Amino acid sequence: MHLAARSNASRNSFTMKHVYLNWAKAAVVSAVFVLCFSSVSSGQAKRPLPKKAAPKVAAKPALKVTLVDEMALKKLLVPNGRPLLVNFWATWCDPCREEFPDLVKIDQEYKGRIDFITISLDDVENISTTVPKFLTAMKAQMPPYLLRADDENTFIASIAKDWQGGMPFTALYAPSGELKYYREGKVAIPMLHDQLNKLVAAAATTLPDSK
Amino acid sequence: MTQKIAALISFLAIFAFVASSAVTHAGGLEIGAMAENFTLPDTDGKTRTLDELKGKNGTVVVWLSAQCPVVKGYKDRINEIAAEYQAKGINFIGINSNSTEDLNWVKSNIGEYGYKFPVLIDKSNALADKWGATVTPEVFYFNAKNILIYHGAIDNDRSGKTVTEAYLKSAFDATLSGKPVTKTKANAFGCTIKRVAE
Repeated sequence: MHLAARSNASRNSFTMKHVYLNWAKAAVVSAVFVLCFSSVSSGQAKRPLPKKAAPKVAAKPALKVTLVDEMALKKLLVPNGRPLLVNFWATWCDPCREEFPDLVKIDQEYKGRIDFITISLDDVENISTTVPKFLTAMKAQMPPYLLRADDENTFIASIAKDWQGGMPFTALYAPSGELKYYREGKVAIPMLHDQLNKLVAAAATTLPDSK
Repeated sequence: MTQKIAALISFLAIFAFVASSAVTHAGGLEIGAMAENFTLPDTDGKTRTLDELKGKNGTVVVWLSAQCPVVKGYKDRINEIAAEYQAKGINFIGINSNSTEDLNWVKSNIGEYGYKFPVLIDKSNALADKWGATVTPEVFYFNAKNILIYHGAIDNDRSGKTVTEAYLKSAFDATLSGKPVTKTKANAFGCTIKRVAE
């Protein structure tokens, strides 16, 4: 979270000023270059840019985290022809953050062969702040959701009967919907690889025509 | 020779069994089971026991953490419940089994959160393993005879804003009025206890 507190914008802004001072008298190309950076940097622009220009350009395609309730999540946990990997996590959960880079690698490695979604258990008020900020920093491409469960106890028991609610929690479903593997706490990556490879191989033989 | 092979096979079989049960965290203390006395140091290094700390009407053993935000979210509720029910003869004992939290951190956290009950250090997480404690906060509530009558979450809302089921308080109120506890187990999202072996 501390990482996220520092804004890229301010760093870009510093870089921009530096570049601007050095290149101010240079060719038109340099000036344009500087101008481009200035528009990305922040609202503190000294240049006579249109006031609304900075926020518009700065508004990168923000990562959208989808809010779901128990019913909606249950539907998401039905595999769609491929093995489905699900990671329950939260920004406040240290081991969740620690293992996340490994999960991003898994996602990249198995892309197209499995579906992988992440479910944040953060407070709903963080859905457009710390949660997407962390996911963006991780370069996570797994579709992200945030669960607001009215009855956590029932929900937890419905996922795996001996899950006590500790996080992270990772679950792997076969295309049939059968829960094949789960882990409360950080996943053992070699173990997850084995499980994924088995399911991917099985899916390839049983569904040869699937695209 | 055959005997040696048989012995080796038996050894391997036993080893495999022990290894698999360790991995799955099977067991733990079940509802209705009696807690054996335990001995753990408090934050001053003084040896404390369950027998010595138990309340006359029951005991709550609650797993805590200095860094877990969920515990932070519950600290006021834990303190309120502890104050209210210690007056009714139910004592609280905090346990810290997190290998990542050193003694000084735990001590300063106790001061910061204002716990008025002893917090014991389960450095090797032996008690957490024996009872099957997994997350923080997680409570084990025993009656006066050390029988486990409730295990799990304190209530059903981490934020404390919309608690609709106060599991632990309901269990207290039921037992203090001589009624059976209807909900004996409930889970909630929390921080996984950071064990030594992990």
